[in-house]
Amino acid sequence: MGAAELVCVVDDDQSVRRGLRRLFKSAGYAAEMFASAEDYLARESFAVPICLVLDVRMPGLNGLGLQEAIEARGGCEQIVFITGHSDVPACRQAMKKGAVDFLLKPFDSDELIEAVNRALERGKETLRKRAERGHARSLIDKLTPREFEVLRFVLQGLLNKQIAAELVTAEKTVKVHRGRVMQKLGVTSVADLVRFSQNAGVSPAGAAHRTKVHYPA
Amino acid sequence: MARRIDGSMTMNGVPASLRAQEPETRQLGVDFDSSTAKICLLVFAGYYLGAKLGFALTLQPRPVSVLWPPNAILLAALLLTPVRIWWVVLLAAFPAHWLVQLQSDVPPGMIFCWFISNSCEALIGAGCMRYSIQGPVRLDRLRHVAIFCLCGVFLGPFLSSFLDAGFVALNRWGQGSYWEIWRIRFCSNVLAALTITPLIVTWGTRGIARWRSVSRWRFLEGACLLLGLSVASFSLFSKMASDADAALLYAPLVFLLWAAVRFGTRGAVTAITAVAFLAILGAAQGHGPFAERPAEQNALFVQLFLIFRSLPLLFLAAIIEERDRMVETLREREERISLATESANLALWTVDFSRGESWMNEKGRALYRLAPDEPLSREFFLSRVHPEDRLKIDDAIERARSSTQSFEVEYRLLLPDGETRWHIARGRYLRNDRGEISELMGVAIDVTAQVKANLDLRLQREEMARLSRVALMGELTASLAHELNQPLTAIASNAAAGKRFLVRGSLDLEMFGELLDDVFSDARRAGAVIHGIHQLVRKGEEDRRAVSVNELILEVLRLMHSDLLGRSTTVETDLAADLPAVAADPVRLQQVLLNLIMNALEAMQQTPAPSRRILISAAAADGFVQVSVRDHGIGLPEGDPDKIFSHFFTTKPNGMGMGLTIVRSIVEAHGGELGAENVGDGARVFFRLPVA
Repeated sequence: MGAAELVCVVDDDQSVRRGLRRLFKSAGYAAEMFASAEDYLARESFAVPICLVLDVRMPGLNGLGLQEAIEARGGCEQIVFITGHSDVPACRQAMKKGAVDFLLKPFDSDELIEAVNRALERGKETLRKRAERGHARSLIDKLTPREFEVLRFVLQGLLNKQIAAELVTAEKTVKVHRGRVMQKLGVTSVADLVRFSQNAGVSPAGAAHRTKVHYPA
Repeated sequence: MARRIDGSMTMNGVPASLRAQEPETRQLGVDFDSSTAKICLLVFAGYYLGAKLGFALTLQPRPVSVLWPPNAILLAALLLTPVRIWWVVLLAAFPAHWLVQLQSDVPPGMIFCWFISNSCEALIGAGCMRYSIQGPVRLDRLRHVAIFCLCGVFLGPFLSSFLDAGFVALNRWGQGSYWEIWRIRFCSNVLAALTITPLIVTWGTRGIARWRSVSRWRFLEGACLLLGLSVASFSLFSKMASDADAALLYAPLVFLLWAAVRFGTRGAVTAITAVAFLAILGAAQGHGPFAERPAEQNALFVQLFLIFRSLPLLFLAAIIEERDRMVETLREREERISLATESANLALWTVDFSRGESWMNEKGRALYRLAPDEPLSREFFLSRVHPEDRLKIDDAIERARSSTQSFEVEYRLLLPDGETRWHIARGRYLRNDRGEISELMGVAIDVTAQVKANLDLRLQREEMARLSRVALMGELTASLAHELNQPLTAIASNAAAGKRFLVRGSLDLEMFGELLDDVFSDARRAGAVIHGIHQLVRKGEEDRRAVSVNELILEVLRLMHSDLLGRSTTVETDLAADLPAVAADPVRLQQVLLNLIMNALEAMQQTPAPSRRILISAAAADGFVQVSVRDHGIGLPEGDPDKIFSHFFTTKPNGMGMGLTIVRSIVEAHGGELGAENVGDGARVFFRLPVA
């Protein structure tokens, strides 16, 4: 564990922050406290899995607003909401947007710890997936535009002959491109190629669009 | 028509006002109706018979008239009829006069002259009296009797006798000198006016009809009186020897006084007339004490005897009647007062210092639970009063003693059976001519019912305000839950952390101390929140003390913190430093602020979130602390912004419209005032309270 993961508490109430700081310390978490959503957003983004323990009602930007802001900037913090009173619409919205849990104050601290653990696990998983995708993408970026085109037709399930027809070229040429793609991406079978491409977020070529789609890094 | 109803009575005692309703015919511009004709007939008959009687009552051998009734009858007729028809009365008397004088072989010139002098006598007497006495002549009144004696009895005969004697001398009729004739006529007319006129006037005005309603015993008494009077007078004037003791002349006086005392003016007049007739009759027949001298002297003697007897009697009767009436009036007034005090639950009391007597009405004794024969005293009264109020009463009474002002004091009675009653007493010291205090009098009224009703009303109002606070709490559940859950969350977290440290054995004592400190302070904070809620919703008496408005505002904002956040509303405050305290009940003042802020929040529901701002300001001016709440909402209804403070006015679909009404009642109960106005893009509601 250690600095490999981080719990961030955003709550406008100082007593709550002090209590939670101690709780996380006692549970062996690295925890940071923020008095407002704005304070949190002002910090640099962290490269570690983060669980955000977030109060719903706060002066200025509230909890739900912060959730949206994080989503907008592509952060992968996992959020556990804590709220002073039951607010069904807020809860629904938060869960729909991917919150890990929505706890009602005063909550059972074990419950919070458990939710935080879940959030950190999910955060780790997300980070891992993101790292994988990044690696895949870097390999795909090394393909020439022609090779990328061929890859997408392969993913679509076309035979070499059909691809040649599509690209108005010789079947032999397609074969060469295809071999080079397999080599560059380090896969040996079509099945591996399909899985790899999915991880990297490459979609099969469709009739509607044949251009290279941009994916977020 | 209206002028006829002058309150004068007709001869038969029917009020003119009743007569006026009868149909009437108009001839020669005069109202002739059946009663006028009846009057004429009565005057004619009376005058004629009166003259005959006058002739019968002459003393022989020389015909000296002792009593001449016709003029008195004419005077009575004029007194009983309205001035309007006097000429008719005189016209009716004329034929009777003519007829009776013709029978006595009087030459026509003399007859006519006498009628003029007789008419003059009646007109002078009646005219003067009518001038002096507005309204009907009532001989049971002292003033009327005095005027009657002066005008009717003295002035009329006195003046007309000059005319009469002059006419006699002019017509060379009869014997005797001018002054002799003057004197004889004057005396006989005075006596007639003194006896017969009152007789007719009293019986005429009071009515014979009322006589029928008297009891059997009174009738019997009257009969006995008349019998006794007749026997006494008859035996005195007709049977007694002429040289008997003069003291016996007072024998009829007993009966005359009896008549005056028991039967008033009418009795006295009737009795004196009876005595007069019997006396004259006796003298005419040559019996009794008035028969031993020559006729003229006898006549004069009888006349003077009767005049001096009837004059005081007439006054005495009037005085007695007046006293009786006064007693009756007093009794009626007392009854009326007692009725009023009974029905108004009034205690009425007086303390007479000069006589050392105290009195209190029955109702008062009942109110103070005082036995009817128990003596009254200030000590006793004060012993009934609630001990806390005794000083107040003493103060009020002492203050009233040194001034002419009346005092008013409200106090509680603590009755022997343990009951408490509320009374209000008003009283005043009365002073005599020398300015010394003579009497203390006052009234007290039991106002327990009103006081209780007021108390009930106040309790109802309290309860209403309390329920309104409960409703407010309902609207503030988010805030309240939040305010309570924050410290509880902190406590729970701290406790859990502490336990984990313990389990892990990594106990840092310093940190643990801090942890516990935090737990304590959070527990206190939670307690304060609960206390605040309890204060707001509990039942309780108003408790005023010096309150810092600024602190109160901040407290309310803390309480509403979460709701303000939930409604994305920013609150700004502009609180003047060194604001003086106000005397107020903090809970009710909080209620006012809560209501006003909730109202502002409601008004801004349609306002875009960034513009939802409330400005709360507090400032002091002119002995007041003014607090205003300004919003950026929909504003107040056009025309009458203060309408929002009236009952049941609401813009909320599920609101009762009571909140701001209660706000107003609270502010006004604190001696403050409340106002509202539209400003720019919203409204400003303010209240001011007097500085403590």
